[in-house]
Parts: sequence; C-alpha cells; structure tokens
Amino acid sequence: MILGIETSVEHVGVALGDYRGVRAHSMLASDRRHAESLTPMIQFVMQQAEVEMSDLSAVAVDVGPGLFTGMRVGIAAAQSIAWALELPMIPVCSLDVVAMNAHWSESVVAASLDARRGEVYWALYRMRGLGVEPQRITEPVVSSPEDLAVHLADRGEEIVCVGSGFDRHQEVFQALQWAQFLGASGSYPLATHLVTLAGQRLAADDTVVPGAVEPMYLRAPDAEINWQTRGAAS
Amino acid sequence: MSNFVVNESTVILALETSCDETAASVVMGGNDVLSSIVSSQIEIHARFGGVVPEVASRAHMEALIPVMQSAITEAGILPSRIDAVAATAGPGLIGALLVGVSAAKSLALVWDKPFIGVNHLEAHLYAGLLDDPTLQFPLVVLLVSGGHTMIIEMRGHGDYTVLGRTIDDAAGEAYDKVARYLDLGYPGGPVIDRIASQGNAEAIDFPRPMEHDGLNVSFSGLKTSVINYVKKNPDVANVDVAASFQAAVVDVLCTKTIRAAQQIGAKGIVLGGGVSANSLLRAQMSERGAAAGFKVALPSRAMCTDNAAMIAAAAWHRLGADGPSSLSCGAYPNLKLDAVPR
Ligand SMILES: [Zn+2]
Repeated sequence: MILGIETSVEHVGVALGDYRGVRAHSMLASDRRHAESLTPMIQFVMQQAEVEMSDLSAVAVDVGPGLFTGMRVGIAAAQSIAWALELPMIPVCSLDVVAMNAHWSESVVAASLDARRGEVYWALYRMRGLGVEPQRITEPVVSSPEDLAVHLADRGEEIVCVGSGFDRHQEVFQALQWAQFLGASGSYPLATHLVTLAGQRLAADDTVVPGAVEPMYLRAPDAEINWQTRGAAS
Repeated sequence: MSNFVVNESTVILALETSCDETAASVVMGGNDVLSSIVSSQIEIHARFGGVVPEVASRAHMEALIPVMQSAITEAGILPSRIDAVAATAGPGLIGALLVGVSAAKSLALVWDKPFIGVNHLEAHLYAGLLDDPTLQFPLVVLLVSGGHTMIIEMRGHGDYTVLGRTIDDAAGEAYDKVARYLDLGYPGGPVIDRIASQGNAEAIDFPRPMEHDGLNVSFSGLKTSVINYVKKNPDVANVDVAASFQAAVVDVLCTKTIRAAQQIGAKGIVLGGGVSANSLLRAQMSERGAAAGFKVALPSRAMCTDNAAMIAAAAWHRLGADGPSSLSCGAYPNLKLDAVPR
C-alpha cells in the first residue's frame, strides 16, 4: 500500500492505493494551511481505510514545481514517515500529476501550473492511459505564459491544455488554434493520480531513499538572483 | 492538567528549525541530553549579510533527514524508545518553522506518540536550566540573540513575565549592522567580539541608551552614533570602534539585568540566546552579578545558540503540565513568550 501526499498547490490531498487502484483519498481546498491539515488528514484517511502504518510499502510525494512552502510541508512529512518506517519513496513531479487529469487524451497534453509573478510552470506530454506514467515530450520549466503560448502555437497540432496556469492566464491562450482547455475540472494535481503513478513506479522498483528526495523549485530564491545579478554587474 | 505520565525516563526527540540552524536532539527526563545535533547555515547566509528566509527553508529541507538520523544514532537508542516528538512551533521564520513542525507531527503520527509544539523563547529559558539544574526560582533571564532582546522573570515552570525588552533593534541585529558598516563580515557578533579584544574599550565614549530609564533597552541610537562617529573620524581603528561599541552594549545589558534581578528579588541570573556567547557579556555579567550578590549561570556556548536539546527540555515540562499539542498545530511566526502552541 502506498501513501501519497499532495501539497504542491493550494490544496491538500492524501491518498492510499497500489497498482490495483486507489483505496481511499481525501482532499481539502485549504487556503494554504497545509501544515495544519496534512497530519490529521493522513490519520483520517488511514483510519477510514483501515490501513496500519505497518501496511505501507512506500511513500509517494508531489515534489513540485509549485508553492514552495506547501511543497516543503508535504515533502518533510513524507520523508519523515518514510524515514521512520524505513520505506522507499517515490517523488513525483506536479506537472506529471496534473497531466493525468487528461489521461484519456490522444493529442499532446500541455500541463501548466500557476507559478505566480506572471509566470507558469509547464511541460508537454503524450498520454499512455490511466495508471501509466505519461511520457514527457519536454522537461518542466518556468516561463512567461506568452512564451508557452508561442511554443504551443509553433507545434501546429491539436493540444489538450490542463492546469491552473491556463486558467490563470486565459487571455494569453484564448487565441490558440487547435487548443482544447480542460478548465476547472483539471486545474490541480490530485493525490489519487499521484498514487496511481507511484504504483507503476514502485512495481518497476523506481524508488529512492528518503534523504534523496528533493523539492523541484525551478526558480532560485530572490536573494540568490539579486546576488548573482549584483555579482555580474560589479 | 495533563494525564500524561512524564518522568525521568521519558525520552523526547525534538527538532528546531526556526531560523538558520537545523537541529535535532534526544533528551531523557527533561535534562539528560543523549544527543544534540546542530547543522548551521551561517556560511550559506554570510554572502547575503543576513538570514534569507527562502534560502533558510531550502537548507532546512536538505539537512532534515541527516540531522534526525544523527540525533538517533548518537543517542544510541532505537526509535521505539522515543516517548514523544517535539518541534519549535514559533516564533521564527514561517517557512523554516513549518519544515520542523511537519516532520515532527509526522513522526508522532507514525510512532503513535504525543506531539508537542514548543515555544522557542520558552525553550531558551530552559537552556540555562539544562546546564545547571541547581538553579532556583525566581530567576531573571537575559535572552539576547539576533532576533530578541528580553529581560524575563521566571517564577517557575511556565510562569514568565517580560520585564524589559528592546524598543527597536535586537542586540544581535545591532552587532550585525555595525559589523556590516565596518565591513567586518557576517555574523557581526563573533567578529566584533574577536577584534574588540585587540582594541581599547575606552577609546570612544558611545552613549548608553536609556541606561537610567526602566528595564527596556534600545540599540538603534547606539548603532547610529557608531556610524556617525566613523563618518567624522574615518581614520579611527576598527578594533577601537568594535571594543567601545561592545562595551556600551554589554554595559547596558548588565545594568538592566542586574536592576531587574534586584527589583524582583531573584535567586539567580541566567543568560540565553546567541549573543550570550559573547565573551565580554559573560565576563561582565559574572563579575557584576556576583558583586551584586546574585548567582550567575552562564550556559555553555552550544546551549546559548539555537539547539534542539532546549526544545526537548521545554517540551518535557509542557507535556507534563499541559499534555500534547494537537496534530493540527501549525507554525506561529510571532508567538509570544507566554503562548502555548496548541
Ligand atoms: Zn533562538
């Protein structure tokens, strides 16, 4: 049984499942109070599903990109649980998870999450069905929504667009031809999809030790950026 | 009252991630430190001239698992021996605090043990008691760090009154700003302390702000007069500026702390916080405190700076008095001294 923890956006999600499917899950649109909600939610989901700590075989966690503080709350929790139980971990990219909201798509899927400050995180995928890890066409990056729109237009093919990055910057993308927008139903990464993907990875023995799990920030801290700019200027 | 049985064999694992140290410690019975691991980020922040919150949060994530592992290994216990898990819940940097709180609550859940969210300021008071269990209440604690300057009356466990505090900069902040102005590097405390020993503390008569005025302190004016003096006298030796500045800071801190101890009839004076590692403060407080008839406790430098052993010690007392915190406990960046995280 895999415990999946999803805190990379405003929502907090917890799911339990394995290669046979999802056993239980819970989700809270939490107004970013990730730390307050997460531990009780894990406890609740496990109790409801009658899963003991000793029944767990791995811990999966969304490592971003996303809200830095949310990601860290989830990763610190997941790492601690896996460390204490001596379990393997499965770190999953938030964009992979959000792409799963369009798992049925035969066209290219563009997954994008709001990165704030007028930017979006995004990556492109080819889907291989529910429960199979989507194939990445491009690696996750952060850019302006305009850059993403240009990239999508240049592909000149039908694209299914999914995630909060598209919702947030609708005006930038509405002129795109051949684009289909999933809208609010696909805005966020779901813990259920996280666990489903993790099930495949665990079956393939594609796991890491807790200490090796790292957040995927894609953006340096402001102070670091300022410091480098200053260094380059002087 | 709590119905938790807390005794000499109760083992607590505590995490501390409120600022720029990632720390984990295993303490038995509230005062027997089995391990205390501290991973400092000072070098990471040095180039920025101060603690950068986002940089600190990232560094906590990297250090978390190794530091917890070292604390368990060094304590020589099995994790099954741990009776409770604690973490600093505030005050501090929100993103940094959340790393420790989230980790500690998760461990408590996995091991089915109580979780205790600890007030970092209260924990600093316990650092003194950890090093000297013979201390008797009431005590006056001078808590001086980069973020805090407080003179606290401690009448018993969990029973505090803030008698005085800084009305502007914390003492450590004043050190950092003066050091930055003199181009001495970061953090300011240790470097000023070091070079001050080569200078003349009477070279410049810097003001002792609010010296005769209650128990509050102020360092902003002192910092400004240091800067103005150096502007007017560009040839002055840094060592003399450092020595004279430090003499003024320490003079004010000692005067106010001893006055507070006299006012409440304290049985002792205890230092806490990063600035209490300062050699002049330690020397002057011992000498002047003893002359005034007070027992002065100087915790080891490792206990003065942020560590998780003091978090475990405070947690042991809180668990006994109030029981565990809720698993929905969050992080409280502006937590006051007498507030208990629930
Ligand atoms: Zn501190």
